[in-house]
Amino acid sequence: MLDRCLCFSHYYRFIYLHFVNQSYVIENTIKPYLLNKIIYSIQDVEFDEFCDPNNPRKIKYDDILAASRRIVGTIVKTPCTRAHMSDKLDMDIYLKQEFMQYTGCFKERGVRNTLLLLSEEQKKIGVISASTGNHGLSMSYHTTQLGIPCIVVMPTRAPITKLTKCQSFGAKTLLHGENMAESKHYAMSLSKEKKLYYVNGYDHPNVIEGQGTIGIEIIEQVPEVDAVLVPVGGGSLLTGIAIAVKHLKPDTEVYGIQTEKTYSMVEALKRNERVRITIDSTIADGLAVNLAGVNTFHNLKTGIVDKMVIVKEDWVARAIMHLVEEERYVVEGSAAVTIASIMAGLFPNLKGKKVVCVLSGGNIDTTTLARALERGMAAEGRLVKFKVTVSDRPGGMAELCGLLANLGVTLRDCIPERAWVKGDVFSVEMKVIAETRGWDHTKELIELIKRKYKDCFFPETNEKSDKAPGARRGPCLAPNPVCMQK
Amino acid sequence: MELYENRSSTVEFDPMCDKENPQRISFEDVSAAAFRIQSGITKTPCVKSHMSSIYGMDIYLKNDFLQYTGSFKERGARNALLLLSPEAKERGVISASLGNHSQGLSYHAKQLNIPVTVVMPNVAPIMKIENCRSYGANVIIHGHDMKEAKYYAMMLAKEKGLVYINGYDHPHIMAGQGTVALEILEQVPDLDAVLVPVGGGGLLAGVVTAVKHLKPHVLIYGVETEKCPSMEVALDKGEPMSVEIRSTLADGLAVSTVGYNAFATVKSLIDRMITVNEDWIARAILRLAEQEKYVVEGGGAVGVSAIMAGHVPELAGKKVVCILSGGNIDTTIFGRCLERGLAAEQRLVKFKVTVSDRPGGIAELCKLIASIGVSIKDIMQERAWVYGDIFSVRVKVVCETRGPEHMNQLRSMITNTYKEWYFSREPEDCSSNRRPSSDSLDDVSK
Repeated sequence: MLDRCLCFSHYYRFIYLHFVNQSYVIENTIKPYLLNKIIYSIQDVEFDEFCDPNNPRKIKYDDILAASRRIVGTIVKTPCTRAHMSDKLDMDIYLKQEFMQYTGCFKERGVRNTLLLLSEEQKKIGVISASTGNHGLSMSYHTTQLGIPCIVVMPTRAPITKLTKCQSFGAKTLLHGENMAESKHYAMSLSKEKKLYYVNGYDHPNVIEGQGTIGIEIIEQVPEVDAVLVPVGGGSLLTGIAIAVKHLKPDTEVYGIQTEKTYSMVEALKRNERVRITIDSTIADGLAVNLAGVNTFHNLKTGIVDKMVIVKEDWVARAIMHLVEEERYVVEGSAAVTIASIMAGLFPNLKGKKVVCVLSGGNIDTTTLARALERGMAAEGRLVKFKVTVSDRPGGMAELCGLLANLGVTLRDCIPERAWVKGDVFSVEMKVIAETRGWDHTKELIELIKRKYKDCFFPETNEKSDKAPGARRGPCLAPNPVCMQK
Repeated sequence: MELYENRSSTVEFDPMCDKENPQRISFEDVSAAAFRIQSGITKTPCVKSHMSSIYGMDIYLKNDFLQYTGSFKERGARNALLLLSPEAKERGVISASLGNHSQGLSYHAKQLNIPVTVVMPNVAPIMKIENCRSYGANVIIHGHDMKEAKYYAMMLAKEKGLVYINGYDHPHIMAGQGTVALEILEQVPDLDAVLVPVGGGGLLAGVVTAVKHLKPHVLIYGVETEKCPSMEVALDKGEPMSVEIRSTLADGLAVSTVGYNAFATVKSLIDRMITVNEDWIARAILRLAEQEKYVVEGGGAVGVSAIMAGHVPELAGKKVVCILSGGNIDTTIFGRCLERGLAAEQRLVKFKVTVSDRPGGIAELCKLIASIGVSIKDIMQERAWVYGDIFSVRVKVVCETRGPEHMNQLRSMITNTYKEWYFSREPEDCSSNRRPSSDSLDDVSK
């Protein structure tokens, strides 16, 4: 506990260290007294009565049904259409298009439900929340619609687009803290100070009930559904949908999907207690929640979910690409995990069944989208990278390019390397990035290059690449910059 | 080439698309088509766009890119196939097309068990060739451009007795495309205007026929890309004229001569033709991906780009429907469009600055850039072609900003801190200082 209070606030640590230098008397009497005060005050600040570990709330189907009536007309009843990819993947896949909501994500449902349940005085005072993403956006939009004052606290390194979007919806944004934990602490201290209502984006019972309304719509739209795949971050979506769906059609299977980097709920359910994990950068940033929610965990540990599944991040990039190419939808990483898990072959038991995938959101940073498309193409063997040594005399490079062109391969990038080459002085090593039709075409290309050139190098071109995204970032965090290239 | 011209009167003669005898379609054709194709076509949604508030008009998007093969061309293809005589259905059909028409035709011919052959030039995108093959068509790659491919297709048609189906000028095709308008009128009954992308003119002809018959007061605007303004030239000169095709983002609209039947149908009914700059098309693709979460090809995004570029101020406050005609954009091109869109919105900035080559020079630059919240995407050093002292290096930086004001902030900071700098594009008012589309978009030397 001492560690916790130390790492939360430098200010309090300063007081502690200052007193350490004083006399023994202070050491033994004043210090413990002050420390206790510090500990209790931090506990007071972070105490959220709706997400209290000592008093977890059970979510009931009737509340979800009430929520669905309450929010009707103000959120989009999104379509749930059959996917074109169904035939390829051997299942009847339906896509619940929650990215069609106004702010691009399903979180609006929970937020709207919570806001409508506030007392009149609270609506006048206002609400506050800490979020870098979709929850902040939903709060900003609906509070402006309902005329409720709202503050959204974000860490100083929050993505630019999310910041501007929240502001454009009319919320007041505050940048504070190096990471989400600090922002949340600040938000909660502000909420205690100014009596603002703190809305936890994934753990507040009203929020979970709101998310559950998706489950009711799914049963309405696809009455013979066999399974529902749900992305899991803090767990509100999974909890709400599982309760709703199991109540209306108990034989439906409900699966929660997380990625290898964002596995807080999987870990929590495995160990039967909420475990804090550290999360590095992930493509599914919407699922990057360190600690599973109190209420969500409490409801999920009773076993209403059939299975939790973890999918590798590479598959998520490929899924984003397939959704763009085949369904023509732009979805974010967190939403694509559902399709990714099917593509990765994690559900052989669902072959030939009716499966609904909840595409929870579409707020993907444009540059991330471009990168995901490239990674997807690379993983499918449509983007090839290789090094080949050619003659540095006139015509050397031209011959290589002509060779590629004759094969119908598009040349994306061609970087010559002259210094770190071991051959004769008249040769240059070309690093080539080319685009092909697929694995067979790539094999043709590899054979051709190997035949014509003595010195060439092809990195491992197997179908299931295990490289985590973001592995080759330079110090300025640009992906694959010149300084990091071999 | 002389050989081709001599024979053109026999091989290239398509009785359904005859210059001397243009056919206009009627409303009855369109409504019959609607009834005929309804079992095989998706009735796509027509949703209100999030951008409506930004542009001060009620914008509705007709999502025809959600059709199975990703474009509206399926409607015309299905209609034409269903209207074939039984003998023609036995022998089969053939067409020359770079993309959407061949995909639509292949898919529906397979569904209706009609043999189909598709001829594509060798510049056709890989994805489209693969798609046609996967739908079951016999794909032949011939010719370096559409002209040669079409000639070959017509030759094959005469040889083997196949029916040649022109992708934008066949009357049955135009009638099928017009069914979009019937759906729009049902979904948005009180609309004021429709923005229609124009390539060969088939969609425009169908839409104009349907809408003007039922609601003559609704304005129909055709939108084309600056790089291939075939309909505008045709309306100007009074007859379809050949226009040089330059490479364009809207490859579905790259038709050098509009169809004769289409022109005959359109010329008296259309209200206005608009041409848009390619930069705006890239920005529209980006906007549709970011805000609406739709993947739309260049040809489908021209309607939205016309609104974004401010070409339709008279429609402020009105209900406008944009037809998003297709979503078959090559993934690499899509990535490029996203980047070009970001650059055009000044959210991606490129500049060169000379810094000290000693330890700390570049670090200081990076810290400076980070201090105002700008994210660096790419950094390249140039040491040889520099005019300053030997201890300096010229750094080319590509970074991401929040928008024009943020970019100006960055610019003033760099100009105040460093003596030698160069920003590649002047940050002036976007609509006035657009460089013309005739400049190649591939000019990356700057």
